[in-house]
Amino acid sequence: MDPVMMKVLDSTMVSICREMGIVLMQTSYSTIFNEALDFSCAIANRDGDMIACAEFCPAQIGGMPLMAKSVVKEIPLDQIYEGDVILHNDPYRGGLHTPEHTLFKPIFVDDEIRGFAVSIGHIAEVGGMVPGGFCGEATEIFHEGLRIPPVKIVSKGKDNEDIWRLMLANVRTPRYNFGDLRALISAVDLGERRMKEIYEKYGVDAVDQTCNDLMDYSERRMRAEIKQIPDGIYPFEDVVEDDGIEDRQYKIFVEVHKDGDDIVADFTGSAKQAKGPINATLGVTMSATYNALLHMTDPTIPKNSGCFRPIRVVAPAGTVVNVDFPAPEVGGNTETHPRIAGTVIGALAQVIPHLSMAAEGCTHGNFVFGGVHADTKEFFACYDIEVVGWGGRSFADGNDACDSINGNCRVTPVEVFEARYPWRVEDWVFREDSAGAGKHRGGVGYTKTLTCLNDEIIISQMTDRHKTQPWGLNGGLPGGMGATLFMKSGSSEWQTAVQAYNKNSPSKFSNISIVKGDRVQLVMPAGGGYGAPPDRDPEAVREDVAEGYVSADAARDIYGQRGADK
Amino acid sequence: MKYLLGVDIGGTFTDFVSFNQESNAVEVWKNPSTPHDPFDGVLTGLEQMEQIGDVQRLRLGTTIATNAILQRAGANVAYITTKGFRDIPFIQRGNRKAHYDMTWVKAKPLVKRRHCYEIDERVDARGEVITPLDEDEVRALAAKIRSEGVVEAIAVNFLFSYLNPAHELRLKDIFLEEAPDLPISISYEVLPKWKEYERASTTLADAYLKPLVGRSFDSMNKRFDELGLEGRVAVMKSNGGECSFAAAAAQPVQMTVSGPTGGVVASRALSKLIDMPNLVTFDMGGTSTDCATIINGEEKFTTSFEIEWGLPIQIPMIDVRTIGAGGGSIAWIDKGGLLQVGPQSAGADPAPACYGLGGDQATVTDANLVLGRLNADEFLGGKMSIDASKAHEVVKKVADELTMGVEETANAIVQIANNNMVGALRSVLLERGHDPRDFALLGFGGAGPLHINELVVLENIPHAVVPVHPGQFSALGFVMTDARTDKQRTIQQTSARFDSDGASALMKDLVDMAVNELRGQGFTEELEIYRNIDLRYLGQNYELQLPYSASEFTEEGLADMWKRFHEAHEARFNFHIPGETIEMVNLSTAVVAPSQKPELATLPKGSGSPPQKGERNIWFDSAFEASAVYDRADFLDGHRVEGPAIIREVASTTVLCPGFGARADSYGNLHITKAGS
Repeated sequence: MDPVMMKVLDSTMVSICREMGIVLMQTSYSTIFNEALDFSCAIANRDGDMIACAEFCPAQIGGMPLMAKSVVKEIPLDQIYEGDVILHNDPYRGGLHTPEHTLFKPIFVDDEIRGFAVSIGHIAEVGGMVPGGFCGEATEIFHEGLRIPPVKIVSKGKDNEDIWRLMLANVRTPRYNFGDLRALISAVDLGERRMKEIYEKYGVDAVDQTCNDLMDYSERRMRAEIKQIPDGIYPFEDVVEDDGIEDRQYKIFVEVHKDGDDIVADFTGSAKQAKGPINATLGVTMSATYNALLHMTDPTIPKNSGCFRPIRVVAPAGTVVNVDFPAPEVGGNTETHPRIAGTVIGALAQVIPHLSMAAEGCTHGNFVFGGVHADTKEFFACYDIEVVGWGGRSFADGNDACDSINGNCRVTPVEVFEARYPWRVEDWVFREDSAGAGKHRGGVGYTKTLTCLNDEIIISQMTDRHKTQPWGLNGGLPGGMGATLFMKSGSSEWQTAVQAYNKNSPSKFSNISIVKGDRVQLVMPAGGGYGAPPDRDPEAVREDVAEGYVSADAARDIYGQRGADK
Repeated sequence: MKYLLGVDIGGTFTDFVSFNQESNAVEVWKNPSTPHDPFDGVLTGLEQMEQIGDVQRLRLGTTIATNAILQRAGANVAYITTKGFRDIPFIQRGNRKAHYDMTWVKAKPLVKRRHCYEIDERVDARGEVITPLDEDEVRALAAKIRSEGVVEAIAVNFLFSYLNPAHELRLKDIFLEEAPDLPISISYEVLPKWKEYERASTTLADAYLKPLVGRSFDSMNKRFDELGLEGRVAVMKSNGGECSFAAAAAQPVQMTVSGPTGGVVASRALSKLIDMPNLVTFDMGGTSTDCATIINGEEKFTTSFEIEWGLPIQIPMIDVRTIGAGGGSIAWIDKGGLLQVGPQSAGADPAPACYGLGGDQATVTDANLVLGRLNADEFLGGKMSIDASKAHEVVKKVADELTMGVEETANAIVQIANNNMVGALRSVLLERGHDPRDFALLGFGGAGPLHINELVVLENIPHAVVPVHPGQFSALGFVMTDARTDKQRTIQQTSARFDSDGASALMKDLVDMAVNELRGQGFTEELEIYRNIDLRYLGQNYELQLPYSASEFTEEGLADMWKRFHEAHEARFNFHIPGETIEMVNLSTAVVAPSQKPELATLPKGSGSPPQKGERNIWFDSAFEASAVYDRADFLDGHRVEGPAIIREVASTTVLCPGFGARADSYGNLHITKAGS
């Protein structure tokens, strides 16, 4: 083990991944890429182990190793050639959900494959039942868009035209999909080029050995962190409020077994799989468990597959945490993921509260829409991400308006949104008293109101926390719920999708036709509080009242602070 | 009036450069900075100059704006925006600094939410007014703010004002009538570009700085008068140009990165002088290191600066990447047993252990002492006393933990520090698509020349240059710069539908504004005008900037421009999309009033090597090697020495590795290349 070489190679590979991400951001077409940054870039070895990644989307990073392994399983290494680019999105082959497109480019040195440059991106439009991918009422995977098993989209440096034609014929926005895929390819091209330079500079053996050392090193650091947690068995549970089809809750149950420097997350006892699209694949559940533990350990540990070695996941087949083919699962990756991660954090919070946080809003809004733009006559589709309040922590309030922990996405500016899509944003405001009260309060949630300017826009949504509150921790109160409300043109009443459109669920629905003048209001959940509200520093309460985050009534009734007037 | 002065107020020292226009002589000196009032240090240094009345102009690099923001010492600002959107500065963009850090705390904007106000008005995405400005509401708000007396400055940001500024301009007029004493910054004048949060953050920073900067410059002007300084006094802007105190006070956000730009300006001048068009600059000091590039003889600009993570300032500025690592960075062992260097720094207090001021942790400077690269008797020409045994002691502590030798450990500390520096170099080279092999590395600042040779090896840069006066190089750049004004504006046109007259008129408008601003500062000479356009494929959200030399958008000019965009996209990203519609997003202009440049003196010709001043054992890789010692002042034009060697001067030391040689050019700059090349 050469510690200097390890440090050098790790930071070099991370900066390569970062450079790949910059190319993706700068060249992609969809706002979900270039504004929201819903993508990740990584380097894998030829066994499919991730050896480096940059600071992008945790859900994708945790899911990467399984995807890489499924590629290698289906396309043997001796059938992968220099200049190939392999595309893959199938959740039932280690993928996360159909919109998540993963590209692998082999890195060849001296005619031998050493590893892969990998880019993963959320492509907004994937065909299927609804424009924008998130079909809240899907009942099988075939509703959720085109499934792509590992195929060569580029073969020995040349576009595989048949694959492109087939794929682009099955989506609503071929020009955008083409641009986004070109950006993803450009990123792996760059990763491959840079990694070849690294191999040439340091030699194959030295690089491979150092990468193995790096994974061992990350494993050692994870084990050292895990060792600090008291041994024991820690249960916790939460629910997904419904599945878009039936109005009932789906339990996510975990027992975290901590023994020495190993951790087993056993999800036995979680609900049977749902008819609707809230199911998680095993890959998602593993990714969520990794995500929780990486959030609770030292953030400076190099992120590679070594981090995952001390962690085992038990998830019985046929449940919401390990769904059987061909059930739908698009929301498993965005909604059930943070719920799973949250249960692991909640379980361990019993013994390491200082490294935990109360529940965050646990959703990305996943508001999707499409239609034909009246000005351009071109079909548009958008996956709009909204952010939530984070949970309070032992040392700080939850962050206001912050992406749920399985993503690290940005909201799209109003000026970009209105220039691209025929909506008018009427307001975008924090909600007073939405944050879960506590010694450290939760992050505040917001409301955004949209008015339709097009003849028609077709909308769908796949979100949660409209009926269940994000939980507080150690005496902290739960955070405020979200909602999606509609006011039809000419009306002055806000209604849920259940009331206005006779849908099964207020938070998961498909293909609602919105017409000119209709309004949609997205209310995003806030975070739970940490610690009992009366323990909050009175000065912090006064400041929250002065800033309009907490009302004078709440300051008096919940925090017991008198005279905290505006 | 024969002297041109450059003064750079740094964290530790204030550097002075004077250039005598009659004799071409350059004088450099420095004295300690005075953080409680940085101008005290400036005056102390100027008092050393006997002929202060003979100064034609003085240019100042100042951290006043940077520090006010970092220390949150600016004004109480009111933020006024479109109805429904007062939370934009707080919502920000929703992402976080690192993907797995639950301890992260979101950055607070430079305004309190209770000072954010909404006005009924709205412009749509085409620039059309859909709700007229409620002027009564504006008047009432102005009266309220004035009567409360808490707010000291106003920032205004209406949605889509970059397309239609009428409401912002009208609001400004009303405030000037109702509350004339309150400085006001409107987003259309500060940053007329799309994306409301980034524009809000930039406009807030401008308003936040206005009262403080205005007061400071008033007091500085008085003190310069008392000193008898009669020449023109100017301040360095983040774009590397100078402007008058009055102009800077009117838009202080332009000075966010003032000091570090000097090194880049000096590098650009050097690039022309020594005919090396591609340089990457490496300015390493005690606590921070700045990197930038000169490409084809020109500095690069950026609009993606952040005060701290999540608080952007998007005005065009020289693209300087700063990392918090330098000679004072501390070595430590993490929980996995891996040696790390920084980001904690010993700074000026407690300072590296060898300074004997109480530091007890090994720093990069201590490691350099252990390796023999620095000599305890030669710090600042022997003016500063250094304790080599203390350096040895603290490095040994780290070595014992690693069960490694002391020198091996010191070497590992330097190698890891070098690798952190490589990360900074990489962020300005590879991450922007530049091949290091096309560059020369220019090393300056106190510590730059110590590390430069090893860095060129690590980063595959074929050539290194240590310029003359490396310890005061930034201040030298101030002497060499021009006055410069940048203007930009968003335009929304495509290759499919292009309004040439509209675009030409907008470009003319921008150029006229910039020209008038410089004329207003008293520049009567002929101005240089540069025009740029930002383009992207329709659907993309980030642009490539291309120069556009003509003042009108003609059919041929446009055809050529679209073609050049496809080529630039291929060159930068390895692909282009033939036949795709191209969108024009921004127009920008830079107008420069060139000022008289000093000519550096040349050295007499020499041959062979300068006289050797002894020998010292210096550690390279795995062993000490006997290395020659030279004095920088002895080098004549053409002198060459071979490594391993040390080249000493008062404010810096150049380390020359085995297998490398250094040659002085006619100005005395040292060029380091592989032996035999």
